[in-house]
Amino acid sequence: MQQVTITLNKREISGQAGMTVLNLALEAGVEIPTLCNDPHLTPAGACRLCLVEDEKSGALLVSCVTPISPGMKINTDSPRVVAHRRTIVKLMLASHSDSCVVCDKGNRCRLRQFAADLGIGRIELERIPQPALIREANPYITRDLSKCILCARCIRACQELVVEGVVDYYRRGFKTQPATLGDNPLEKTDCTFCGTCVAVCPTGALMEKDSAYQGTTKTAVMTTCPFCGCGCAVRLEIKGGKAVRALPGKNRMSSRGALCVRGSYGEDFTHSKERLLRPLLRDEGGFREVSWDEALAAAAAGLQQVKDSFGAGSLAVFGSPKCSNEENYLLQMFARTVLGTNNIDNSANLYNAATREGLGASVGFPGTTNHLSALEQANVIMIAGTDPAVSAPQVAYTIKRAVKFKQTRLIVIDPRRTKLASFAQLWLRPKFGTDPVLLNAIARSIIEGGLLDTEFVVRKTDNFEAMHKALEKYTPEYAESITGVSREEIDKAARLYAAAATSVIIFGTGITKQSRGADSVKALANLALLTANIWCRGCGIYAMQKDSNAQGACDMGAIPDFLPGYQHIFNYHIRKKFERHWQKSLPSKQGISAADMFLGAGKDGKIRGMYVVGENPAASWAQTDLVRNALSSLEFLVVQDLFLSETAKLAHVVLPAASFAEKDGTFTNFEGRIGHLRRAVRPAGESLPDWQIILRLAGQLGQPLPFADLQQVMDDIEEFIPLYEGYCHEDGRFDDDWSFWEQRRDSCRQSLSGFARFSAVGFEPEAASGDYPYTLVLQSSLPHFGSGARTGKVSRLRRFLTEPHLLVNPGDAEKLGLTAGARVRIVSPAAALSAVLKTDADLPTGTVSLPASFPEANRLFCLEKKPGAGRASLNVCYVRIERIEHNV
Amino acid sequence: MCNVDAKDSSRIDMGRVREIVGEYSENRWPLIPLVQKLQDEMGYIPPESIPVIAGALGLFPSEVQGVISFYTQLYNEPRGKNVVRVCRGTACHVRGGKTILKLVKQELGIEEGETTEDMEYTLETVACIGVCALAPTMVVSNRVYGNMNPKRLRQLFKKDGNRHDG
Ligand code: SF4
Ligand code: SF4
Ligand code: SF4
Ligand code: FES
Ligand code: FES
Repeated sequence: MQQVTITLNKREISGQAGMTVLNLALEAGVEIPTLCNDPHLTPAGACRLCLVEDEKSGALLVSCVTPISPGMKINTDSPRVVAHRRTIVKLMLASHSDSCVVCDKGNRCRLRQFAADLGIGRIELERIPQPALIREANPYITRDLSKCILCARCIRACQELVVEGVVDYYRRGFKTQPATLGDNPLEKTDCTFCGTCVAVCPTGALMEKDSAYQGTTKTAVMTTCPFCGCGCAVRLEIKGGKAVRALPGKNRMSSRGALCVRGSYGEDFTHSKERLLRPLLRDEGGFREVSWDEALAAAAAGLQQVKDSFGAGSLAVFGSPKCSNEENYLLQMFARTVLGTNNIDNSANLYNAATREGLGASVGFPGTTNHLSALEQANVIMIAGTDPAVSAPQVAYTIKRAVKFKQTRLIVIDPRRTKLASFAQLWLRPKFGTDPVLLNAIARSIIEGGLLDTEFVVRKTDNFEAMHKALEKYTPEYAESITGVSREEIDKAARLYAAAATSVIIFGTGITKQSRGADSVKALANLALLTANIWCRGCGIYAMQKDSNAQGACDMGAIPDFLPGYQHIFNYHIRKKFERHWQKSLPSKQGISAADMFLGAGKDGKIRGMYVVGENPAASWAQTDLVRNALSSLEFLVVQDLFLSETAKLAHVVLPAASFAEKDGTFTNFEGRIGHLRRAVRPAGESLPDWQIILRLAGQLGQPLPFADLQQVMDDIEEFIPLYEGYCHEDGRFDDDWSFWEQRRDSCRQSLSGFARFSAVGFEPEAASGDYPYTLVLQSSLPHFGSGARTGKVSRLRRFLTEPHLLVNPGDAEKLGLTAGARVRIVSPAAALSAVLKTDADLPTGTVSLPASFPEANRLFCLEKKPGAGRASLNVCYVRIERIEHNV
Repeated sequence: MCNVDAKDSSRIDMGRVREIVGEYSENRWPLIPLVQKLQDEMGYIPPESIPVIAGALGLFPSEVQGVISFYTQLYNEPRGKNVVRVCRGTACHVRGGKTILKLVKQELGIEEGETTEDMEYTLETVACIGVCALAPTMVVSNRVYGNMNPKRLRQLFKKDGNRHDG
């Protein structure tokens, strides 16, 4: 790139051609005041505060939009510049609200800062009357546009970063203001309350509502959001020992200047009054608060007793995708070396196993094959079985940016009308659970249409013949009859995906939670292999993860069949390697999965004692009644959590754990990127980080793990998991720099497999029938995460919890003779519960839905697998609907 | 102001809106010609049509609203059969234009920018009509009325429409 040299405040400096004067000054460490500029947004040149003088031409330049040109002699502080700057700030203050003095934004307001810097006090100009405060009923954001300086940051942030376009300039002249459609309050618009506009607003015009503290804070800690698998960088601002505000991490690729409503307004569960502050021990009268020593002694004794009476195989450990990598690493080590069992699992494995197996077998890498921003280089994106706008908002932002600004075309495969469907070029609505058939039909159409990349298929893959043969059955007619998607649409999808130069596939739990999830993933991978859309720029396969550390928990080996880094437990040499290093012997028998732990727990079952860390299976698992029974019939149960969860209530010993904001560690997001957790506040009460508790419990059992601190755990991980070599460098390199991570992954991939492999996969679609004619799905909502164990503790998010309604297609309701408002019983083979019926025309006929934040809904799902199926199907369950007669 | 629940949303022919929108391709440049065409045919740009326009052109609804509100010649409220424009230029001001405006408001029972219930009149003001010699002036349905006074004004509305005093 060509270099351009200019003089800046009498100093010669050079920068790349095309760069703005402002950015070059920033690089050179020269400060120029700005109000409307933001590194994540396109420059607007709206506030004119960044004026500088070019002494050569005598011109005043708007530095944020002026590119450098050779020979410029820029002065950023000439008397002329300062005079103009003063005038601009004065004019802004003149049209600013009188309540400025008592504004909650206080010293965080940049306008006020500049006014103070320039020594501007009272305004001598006549004030311009301003619009009044807008009445907003939403619990997150207030707008007082009398303080708006029309910098358009909120407008650009909403359009360019989160691509909602809720606000834009409205009216002209003095009446101009950023407004919503119809000038409605935010809650009557498409606003998702992501808080991005609030974070960028330089004045008090946009403010967080009902926040614990509004003023300036001195301390801020960069950490990682604990909710979804996007792993956004979050800046927690600290005041009086509390995290009072969460903002998008500055200049971080992982948050790109934006968070979602959970990240912005959901982090305060850390300071919930319901946090467990001391260990609890059960005795006849219920729970009693005890000291750590007493609790740990009781926990150790209880586990030891079960082991002595029934053997190590009767114990099981349940880890968590909400816990850090280091904690999951310790936990699997605890299970294997201290308890002596491979019975360790975590809830993410329920869906991650399908990804690992499916992608591992086909592309030779057990996870997402490219990074988030590569989505913006793709020509076509195909999404199946996931609604990122809810489950992984940062991914949805990126997809929408690609569609809106990069001409990427989007194919959405989803029976439900998702937010992204409105951005899609093509929206296919297969009947629930039939997407594998659809995918096979698309693969067939690609081959029939001659759209496959023959060279790639011949040189880089094997098993094409077998796969091709298996596809014979999936004619467009057959697929249409099963999925309900027309043959034209199938062909169109095939053409779109295959004919583009680069295409991406994104899939989620709608695919992986199917009973044959791994096969569905293989079917998806077949599409990528047919068209050479793997391991190149702007292409690849993306596996969405539900929880923040879903990827990491599995990478760390908190799963029953693999040691850390997916090294096989059956392999003698691998086992020996770990045994030598840990100086302990390892059990060689494969452990049992979490589902089997619960199915096999209790009096006559195999599992007699459990240690559950950071999970709430008694509320969030399928077939909840069975899980709850299993847990309550255990001889001994230790639960470690932030809250007295439904599971903790069944425990003999409850150990209070610290939240993400109260500890150090790392998460691995869905891309495989590391996000650092950094302790921002003291742990609540006597709670301790999970890793410390695990270490202490191991010590109490007389078998201390060989780690004095977290760093030593990290060193161990680096040594054993090739993918994590060098991962914990505190310089933050891996929080942001994907390229390093890419290198690691590539070296790992090569050692895994040279060839990519097609898989022949056939499907017999399951269907609702007979006694249970309706397909029930759970619908997540954005403010609530999972079953709401944490988000349900956040008062502002909680206000979005409404009475759970069963949504039914109006046609189905009519057939059932039911109208909206009727109370109905929903009956599945596992359980029955009642709810109020509501109609929803967007639901396909035959499908009904309940909110995922309503934990009772899980009771209806079946954990037991159907004969012949690899696993229970957890994305759908089959139900019937009965009217409840009212006896008035 | 753009009010999505405009008073007569039932009367809008959304089918026709979609037809007109459909004639313009998916690209942002036809926005102005498109809204002009809509306005020519329907008399104004129904707020209900904004999401349809935005969807077809790949724009945000708020963006479309912003553009419409920027141009004084684009309206998103139905306008009366007769547009009344009262001059508030300097010459008219000096000769009582302000009072004339006040009286027109009283007479029609509406504020600037509003339309009467019966859809007969829309009231606007202009900077200068260009016939300052006749100040104070106003324009009704493109006809200029000069040397206005309260009496002439009342007569004008009596004669012009079927509006009655009281
Ligand atoms: S909160 Fe998010 S979606 Fe809502 S207006 Fe602000 S940036 Fe847009
Ligand atoms: S509300 Fe804030 S961010 Fe938006 S234009 Fe006004 S001052 Fe700028
Ligand atoms: S997108 Fe996910 S990681 Fe990012 S702020 Fe939202 S919940 Fe947190
Ligand atoms: S920062 Fe340059 S014009 Fe606002
Ligand atoms: S000022 Fe009224 S017509 Fe010129």
